[in-house]
Amino acid sequence: MEGDSSTTDTTQLGITGEYMTGGTYVLQTQDDDGDESFNDHEDGNGSKDYFREQDIYLPIANVARIMKNAIPQTGKIAKEAKECVQECVSEFISFITSEASERCHQEKRKTINGEDILFAMSTLGFDMYVEPLKLYLQKFREAMKGEKGITPVAVSEGLGEELTDDSFTGQLPAGLITADGQQQNVMVYTTSYQQIPGVQQIQFS
Amino acid sequence: MSGKNMEEKVEQATDRKNISLPMSRVRLIMKSSPDVSCINQDALFLTTKATELFVQHLALSSYKNGSGKETNTLSYSDLANAAEESETFQFLTDILPKKILAREYLKSLEEMEKVDDNL
Repeated sequence: MEGDSSTTDTTQLGITGEYMTGGTYVLQTQDDDGDESFNDHEDGNGSKDYFREQDIYLPIANVARIMKNAIPQTGKIAKEAKECVQECVSEFISFITSEASERCHQEKRKTINGEDILFAMSTLGFDMYVEPLKLYLQKFREAMKGEKGITPVAVSEGLGEELTDDSFTGQLPAGLITADGQQQNVMVYTTSYQQIPGVQQIQFS
Repeated sequence: MSGKNMEEKVEQATDRKNISLPMSRVRLIMKSSPDVSCINQDALFLTTKATELFVQHLALSSYKNGSGKETNTLSYSDLANAAEESETFQFLTDILPKKILAREYLKSLEEMEKVDDNL
């Protein structure tokens, strides 16, 4: 819904790079065989179903754009740095999620909620994000509320319950006779984007 | 006419949501953590938004701290330095090892051997 489209572009799904630490050579190459998976590592048995958490990344284009907007306009970003931040991002998400999940478990809850996330951030040294995030959440909620008014609402059971036989009597136009000579009840329900307490009838005469 | 207004409303709502990262992908990453069962909408949004803030934070900190004056470019080593020097970004040190050139590594190996010889 944010324009995320699946991509087979290697550069968007993963990274290619070589790193050397002081003690060991760390060589990383990642091949994408062109499939839709987010997993950049080929398993021995060719399975693409197993994703290690560090193999799933956010699209590099989105990440790069955010980086670009953060640094001074004249600044540039090395390709390797973009790929690296991509990894860092997944690490960050996992970092926060684990902490929030732990708290959830401690309190015997199954669903991670907003409070858990904010608490995790505070605990892990990202306290400075908390206040801005609360504001963003507010705006997000308002935006979602607005959208609910736009998306069609399923017909509620309440509407069905009001359809009793009694509601038909006395409301039929006397002269409504179809071609085959049978009188028919004609009820037309308007599709509305809001729940309506009663049923609207349109009668044809 | 009314259709067009509806489209505008949806667009405005999306802008107001104000995120530039795909929440579906964020959810995928979150769910890959062990023992995570359900994530509610607020949590997903907050994580996504926080990730944006994180990217901005990391990029800017690294850039400012780095050799930007000369090269004007944010490089990998800027990020690695930020991870090492900042407490906030220390959780990244494992995935941001500092790089050294092969010849420097070999040189330091030689020096270590010399020390061993002297012992």
